Amino acid sequence: MSGKSLMKQWYTPVEITTLKRWIFASCIVNMLLLTFDFLRDEYDLLLAGIFACILLGLLYHNMPSVHEEKKRNFALGLSSIIFGIGIYKLISLEITIFNIWLNSWIILPSAISLLWLSSRPVTVWTSKELSISAVEYGLERNHQLIKKYRNITTHLTLLHFVMITVLPLIWIIDTAISPGNALGGELGDSFTTQHFEKVLSGESFQTWLANSLIVSIGTCLLGLTIAIPAGYAFSRFKFSGRNVSMFAFLLVQMFPGIIILVPYFLVMKSLGLLNSHIGLILAYCVTALPLCVWMLKGFFDTIPRELEEAAVLDGCNQFQVFTKVVLPLSVPAVAVTGLFSFLAAWNEFLLALTFNTSNDMYTLPVGLASMISSTGQAWGDFAAASILVSIPVALLFLFFQKFLIEGLSVGGVKG
Amino acid sequence: MVKVEFKNVQKRFDDGFIAVNDLDLEVNDGEFLVLLGPSGCGKSTTLRMLAGLEEVTEGEIHIDGMKVNHLPPGARDLGMVFQSYALYPHMSIGDNLAFGLRMAKGEKRIPDEEITTRVIEIAELLELSDHLNKKPKELSGGQRQRVALGRALVRRPKVLLMDEPLSNLDAELRHTMRKEIRRLHDELGTTTIYVTHDQIEAMTLADRVAILDNGILQQHCAPLDAYNKPENKFVKDFLCKHIDDLVETANSLFKR
Repeated sequence: MSGKSLMKQWYTPVEITTLKRWIFASCIVNMLLLTFDFLRDEYDLLLAGIFACILLGLLYHNMPSVHEEKKRNFALGLSSIIFGIGIYKLISLEITIFNIWLNSWIILPSAISLLWLSSRPVTVWTSKELSISAVEYGLERNHQLIKKYRNITTHLTLLHFVMITVLPLIWIIDTAISPGNALGGELGDSFTTQHFEKVLSGESFQTWLANSLIVSIGTCLLGLTIAIPAGYAFSRFKFSGRNVSMFAFLLVQMFPGIIILVPYFLVMKSLGLLNSHIGLILAYCVTALPLCVWMLKGFFDTIPRELEEAAVLDGCNQFQVFTKVVLPLSVPAVAVTGLFSFLAAWNEFLLALTFNTSNDMYTLPVGLASMISSTGQAWGDFAAASILVSIPVALLFLFFQKFLIEGLSVGGVKG
Repeated sequence: MVKVEFKNVQKRFDDGFIAVNDLDLEVNDGEFLVLLGPSGCGKSTTLRMLAGLEEVTEGEIHIDGMKVNHLPPGARDLGMVFQSYALYPHMSIGDNLAFGLRMAKGEKRIPDEEITTRVIEIAELLELSDHLNKKPKELSGGQRQRVALGRALVRRPKVLLMDEPLSNLDAELRHTMRKEIRRLHDELGTTTIYVTHDQIEAMTLADRVAILDNGILQQHCAPLDAYNKPENKFVKDFLCKHIDDLVETANSLFKR
């Protein structure tokens, strides 16, 4: 076979290949979306949906190839039926943003399919013998368009994921800025700062905030002071019991927290550390340490030994090697580990709820929960408070982003 | 007079592997000695024992007539250039050069002004004056190599150790750096021990070569003597065959 006819064989208009992918994806998504029809007890629409799914599958299998004009026309017919089903489903439902989105998964693919299958490139490709120059032109066109279509697919997918994560957030923000303490209601219909004012001026919120800050910062500092030397020792020194203790560290992590809750409580009680900051800090350190030590050990492992040897030859003792060379290089890892233990303490609920039972020793998560259970569902205040709780965390993440990405160790060794 | 002596030195690792066996070696004052051998022959281990980074299992190492077996590395007054340069990534070039000087404490403490002048001096010698405020990652491979060299030399060490310092450079740079290293040695007259597996480097740089195989010293003499009168089959194969091949290739290229 000559190169030219080979090229002809390879050519398929970009519309067909893209359509195949999109139809496949929409078929899967529609199957999942059938759940909504089922939950709403709309059995007519459920049936129509199932039918649409089958037709989409059929369409996927009947995409035309070269010289298959009949198949092309059949596919066109299929698309128009699917399009019809989509429109029928849409008009028989109440018109809301959600319903439009739901049915656009049927309507849009079939509409695009109608449009593209009847477009000139596909028509020519299915009906006529193409000249070499036409194929060359087509390949070039494919090359340009495929990027565009790929982009659309990626962004559409990402948009969905973003919506899934952002929607609850929008909801919370809306609840926080709407007057009254009800959940739901129209988005952005009114604005008030009364919830924020109430929460911020309330004495208990300030106490909880102070408690949370003390406990979290305490955990972070104590955790780092233990984890940094421990990680370094595990990374650099060989001592008996090294592997066993590394494993023992992990062992604690393998049990769900609730198992050790009761023993913890008894220990804290006998030590007289219930309703105190120190008790919580100790408990959080124990849970956060294993991961911190492992993370830091992993980072120290990546610091080349030659660097330390160079420092030794420059006259450093073991401790100076650690403080003057290893530690400055580990700033990103230490920062990330610190952030991790801070967040673990900041968000923890179960231990805090069990150990600290008096109102003025609550941490923020426990305090937030108490707003809902005891004071009669103050959702507006709750939403405002939870936004206030997340702000420090968001700020921390913004600040530490630099460290998360930065690799300071790069460039010191080799080219 | 800085003389380095290895007396019946042996290195046995924990797993029983003998890296260096019964090594007797003498390096004269101001001499450029090249330790040459295939990888795994014990040449790097020898150098690291001298530097104090590996413990000596048996035998004695003397620097300047003093037994240094149990002296900490920083106290041995050595400069070392690593294969991977091992520059401190978080410090500027100037700080990298000054770090060793700043670490000297007590009686040996060097005043700040002298540190500055010595850093500037060495930077000029190695053409690094424009880069003193940059970080290592902003420099090219050749420049990093020169910083590593400068860091070793700025302390005015008794002995300069180099562990395959040129193996990360491209052919062109390797050639210029080779000349540079020899020039520095002739200028400063520091006793130098240089580890390499590259026969050409050994032939062009060395006053004397020590050829090792399997942890045993095979021949210790001037490079040309080793080439002209190889003592055993290993030296002949490792040194002569390689260079003969090279000459042959060059000749056939010229004939074309």
